[in-house]
Amino acid sequence: MNSVLQEIYATILPSAPFVIAAYALVWLVLFVYVVYSMTRFKKVESQVGLLEQSLSGMEKTGDATASVLK
Amino acid sequence: MDRSATKPAVGGLADKLALVLLATGTVLTTVAFILTFTVASPVIGAKVSGVELIGDQMIGNQLLLSQKIFYFHMPVAIASMVALGGTAFFGIRFLMTRDAVYDMKAKLCTEVSLVFILATMATGEMWTRFEWGVWWTWDPRLTTYFILMLMVFGYFVLRAAVEEPERRATYASIFGIIAFVDVPISFMITRLIPSSIHPVVFRTDSGMSPDMLVPLMCSLFGFLMIAFGLYRFRVRTEALALRVEAVKDQIDE
Repeated sequence: MNSVLQEIYATILPSAPFVIAAYALVWLVLFVYVVYSMTRFKKVESQVGLLEQSLSGMEKTGDATASVLK
Repeated sequence: MDRSATKPAVGGLADKLALVLLATGTVLTTVAFILTFTVASPVIGAKVSGVELIGDQMIGNQLLLSQKIFYFHMPVAIASMVALGGTAFFGIRFLMTRDAVYDMKAKLCTEVSLVFILATMATGEMWTRFEWGVWWTWDPRLTTYFILMLMVFGYFVLRAAVEEPERRATYASIFGIIAFVDVPISFMITRLIPSSIHPVVFRTDSGMSPDMLVPLMCSLFGFLMIAFGLYRFRVRTEALALRVEAVKDQIDE
């Protein structure tokens, strides 16, 4: 490569890590937020499951009480 | 606070649209990424000692790869500002109606805004470090945007500090509206203070060629769509959480 081309491309390689890091960081930040959102969603989903369990438990207790009363 | 209205509409058109927008946004940003490094012309820097024929052009300046950061940096910054606009909008709606749903939506808008603020700061830092040789400089744009970031942090600190829901929502709404005031200031500061070293992109004589404009627009609309998709996903989750709390209350009674 001649000296003029060397001058033209002088900043390409030194800036590459910064460009790669910039793009990677944008995706990383978004990825972390997506993971956080999914974790929160799964937590709420598990709470729904627990509620369903406790409701079915209450129904069974209610049925047992009703049969004793009969 | 109006607790009877604490059931945001979910699963409707907005949510169906959000899914489509999220997918489209992901595709658009990927396309923007590819176009940025394949089609968009590199920006030229300082003059060199001669001229060389590269492709079909005579080049007599340095070619700057670092400028490629801009194709993601500017769109994520705009997305953060638009999301903060949502904070102010829902804050005003809350103050008008006292409906807790608007407070929840304002909080989620601020959350999304914070995500994009962090992305903006990260990309900006990379640019600043390479082009200006420093990690930070008190340039007017950087300073006003830094204040914006601090205010968004402050918004969450305020929410964590106040326990009573109605007071928390009222304070947060007012604070969110005040934080949004910094958005037009930060956007316009490079035009108002000519000594600012931060480039001004949105202007009629920006000289951006179509091969640069297309990836930029793909990136801008892509990130706006992703922001909306993420926001709606969080609304659905928090709406479900509110319903769980309501059922728990019913069982306790």
